[in-house]
Amino acid sequence: MSETIEAVLTQYSRKSDDLIPILQGVQKEFGYVSLESVKKISRYLRITENQIYGVSSFYAQFRFDPPGRHSIKACLGTACHVRGGATLLEMLERGLGISCGETTPDKRFDLERVACLGCCALSPVVQIDKNIYSRMTVTKLTELLKEYE
Amino acid sequence: MTKEKRLSITIDNRNVEVRPGLTILQAARENNVFIPSLCTLEPLPSYGACRLCVVEVDGLRGFPTSCTTPVEDGMVIRTDTAEIKSLRQEVLKLLLSEHPASCLFCTEQNECKQFQGTIRKVGVTTGCRYCPNDNRCELQQVTEKIGLTETSYPVYYRGFPVEKYDPFYDRDYNLCILCGRCVRVCNNVRLNGTLSFKQRGKLTTIGPAFERSHLEAGCEFCGACVTVCPTGALSTKVSKWYGKPDNQVSTTCSYCSVGCQILLQTKNNEVLDALPDYESPVDHGLICVKGRFAIPEYVHSALRLSSPQRLTPVGYEDISWEQAITEAAEKLSGIKPEDCLVMVSPQLTNEDLFVTQQFVRQVMGSENIGSSMMSDLGNSLQMFMDLVLHTDFFDVIEKAEGVFTIGFDSTYGYSPIGISVKKAAQKGTTLITLDSVDSNLDMLSETVFKIEPSRWADFLDLFLDYSPKRSSEKRLADLVSLWGDDIERVNKLFLKSSSNVVIVGPKLIGATDAQGVMEKLIKMRDTFSWKVIVAHPYTNLAGMLAMGAFPGIKPGELLSDGDSRSPLTVQTNLSPLDLKKRRKVVYLIGEAPFDVIPECDYLIYQNGLPAESSRQPDLILPASLFTESGGTMMSVEGRVLPIQKAVEPYMNSKPDWWIMSNIAEKMNKGKMKYKDVSSIQGEIRKHIKGFPNIKKRLAFSKINVKGTGAVQVKSREGIFTQDSYRGIPLAEVVMGMKAIEERVQSISCSDKEAQ
Ligand code: SF4
Ligand code: SF4
Ligand code: FES
Repeated sequence: MSETIEAVLTQYSRKSDDLIPILQGVQKEFGYVSLESVKKISRYLRITENQIYGVSSFYAQFRFDPPGRHSIKACLGTACHVRGGATLLEMLERGLGISCGETTPDKRFDLERVACLGCCALSPVVQIDKNIYSRMTVTKLTELLKEYE
Repeated sequence: MTKEKRLSITIDNRNVEVRPGLTILQAARENNVFIPSLCTLEPLPSYGACRLCVVEVDGLRGFPTSCTTPVEDGMVIRTDTAEIKSLRQEVLKLLLSEHPASCLFCTEQNECKQFQGTIRKVGVTTGCRYCPNDNRCELQQVTEKIGLTETSYPVYYRGFPVEKYDPFYDRDYNLCILCGRCVRVCNNVRLNGTLSFKQRGKLTTIGPAFERSHLEAGCEFCGACVTVCPTGALSTKVSKWYGKPDNQVSTTCSYCSVGCQILLQTKNNEVLDALPDYESPVDHGLICVKGRFAIPEYVHSALRLSSPQRLTPVGYEDISWEQAITEAAEKLSGIKPEDCLVMVSPQLTNEDLFVTQQFVRQVMGSENIGSSMMSDLGNSLQMFMDLVLHTDFFDVIEKAEGVFTIGFDSTYGYSPIGISVKKAAQKGTTLITLDSVDSNLDMLSETVFKIEPSRWADFLDLFLDYSPKRSSEKRLADLVSLWGDDIERVNKLFLKSSSNVVIVGPKLIGATDAQGVMEKLIKMRDTFSWKVIVAHPYTNLAGMLAMGAFPGIKPGELLSDGDSRSPLTVQTNLSPLDLKKRRKVVYLIGEAPFDVIPECDYLIYQNGLPAESSRQPDLILPASLFTESGGTMMSVEGRVLPIQKAVEPYMNSKPDWWIMSNIAEKMNKGKMKYKDVSSIQGEIRKHIKGFPNIKKRLAFSKINVKGTGAVQVKSREGIFTQDSYRGIPLAEVVMGMKAIEERVQSISCSDKEAQ
């Protein structure tokens, strides 16, 4: 893997201004920013790992653990919220035993809340991987999750 | 020089002239206008986090923060209007909505200040080290100044667990106001980068990455963050519940040869804490963990020797000083000069060392004055002394174009030197590092040469005279193939530059073939005009040599006139000191080298703490430590620095010079009856003009001598990972230093495995 990290790094300058683009590049390549890559970035930009973490943990877009196999996005935009999105999210959190932004210990699911998926007419909506599921209910969702291993 | 243009501004209807480049806050302070502030602190960069310093400026929209707004000519500023006042109160209320404030708005506050009636209650409810009586909490001061007496918001207690698992200081982020002072001091002043803001919003805390402990994250435990914290969030473990110190004494740290200036905080005849002195020209307040945190626990250790003791068949018995002096005098009387060996520590003051050499020469009539340093260095002693005595001022580092460090890591020591190196590297100086393990400077290094110490001499040989052809020399072949390209590249950079500095760390002392490395260093200095800086643990080695507490060197003899350090050859006779020959009496002064001293009939041990050894001294003389007796020392830069007495000697202990001059008096020998330190300085002046002149830097002649100073008793490789004071490893006495040492060991082990 370190080979490819180097490949990512060399696309950027060694100025600390490039930290965020580098983090984005790394996340795009590997799906997350690993401890190992933080170390490499630190050497490359000559800033400490702590400083890198400080910057990257500020932004919700970066994650430091490998992502789960499937990503669940529960929409809590106004329309979805009104039509029960919050209940769905709560059910997901309880059912999977994790909170938003976390991954199940078996690495099966990632859970995230999003503001609007742009299909309010279909609310409440849940997105799993690339698929959008409309008019969700707790029972439908429970069944649905079984399809994702 | 053209006169600097002054700006004319109006603050609260008053016209004043100020220098350009100031912020409004600075300008106001210079003109005695008070603007409350919490996050700003000289010399940290402004940050604008607390918003308490808001002001009104004509023509600027809203309420700019004065700490981040530069003054401009003609500015009209108001700092104290009703609107600003209520705005500040509101800001403070918001700030306090996440900070326990029972102590700030307590109705009993005034009584508490006077009678300390509720101190404990406050500590318990807020978890804070500062009680209203303490006057050190800046939040408290600001609240009073702003005139806030109650708050209308509920307090949201964040409930973070208090972090107590790291050495030396605790962290309670429930008390943190996120002013960012610690983050800035760690990143911008210490150039360390352990701290940063993590997460955001109400989850924001301060700390290192990935929930690592500070120890794991590379914290130096320099305590700078604790010093600047305006609240009780960061607090020193040992002194947190002692309240406000009642006195401050400025002195010199005696733990290494840098000679940092520290401000000892004392109370009830005890040293509570040691703070950096940001005005100090030696270290600019950049002291290391040893000076910052390792002093109180050492000097007030429960192990301190409290009374003279004599070994009897049934164990030790306490005796009076009178008895002890008589006994020592008896044992030392009537023996032949060569039957007594005195070992003295280079961590003593100049005055103590001067008296020691008088004692050996005048009373014992010999030159048998040794030091465990001699056996550490063995054959390389002379070269080492030469390098140390001609070490340059540290400020050459920041002016250099090329810096080369060898076996040097400034995480837990020598930090003023290390930070200069970091500053230089950040400004574009070429830095290369040579070591067998990771160094804290590697991150800024152009090339990291990871090579075993036994090969350093070969490496330097190749470095100073590189050509790929040298791979034909058998001993260099592997180095050429592994590092050849790198050497060639960095060599070009160093050749181009006219000012190069090489810095060697204490690891050199224990290195196999230290002699070979030193030879090369001397060559770099004398032939290639490199400046050399030696960071070494023998605090007052320079003073030891200046005072003549060394066989064959008389007081003042090694000093050359004038301020220049041009080498000048003096013929001195360093007689080899035999550490194997059996003696009648061995007298240890601030030393505990039980593994190197010879067999003897009678052993006198004069020190602050007992040593762990199976050899039992026959007589124990409790000595006072550097916080308890005054004097001077000479740093590796050649500066004469004051050591000030801060507290009375512990229990029944006495200064080293007092003990020696009393024994001499009892024996009726030598002219060394001193009543205090200044009378000793008077005597030293006979040998060194104007001593102790703090302003003048003393310069040494070049030592040119034949023969070695000592015998190397056994391989002592690796001993210098341990920092000690007066022969006792700090890790044995100071809890936090033990944790640090374990970390250092584990890093170097895992490093070895990785290779
Ligand atoms: S002790 Fe020093 S190195 Fe450690 S976090 Fe505080 S300022 Fe940074
Ligand atoms: S660098 Fe040396 S002199 Fe300075 S505080 Fe540390 S041990 Fe003391
Ligand atoms: S002092 Fe200006 S914002 Fe804190």
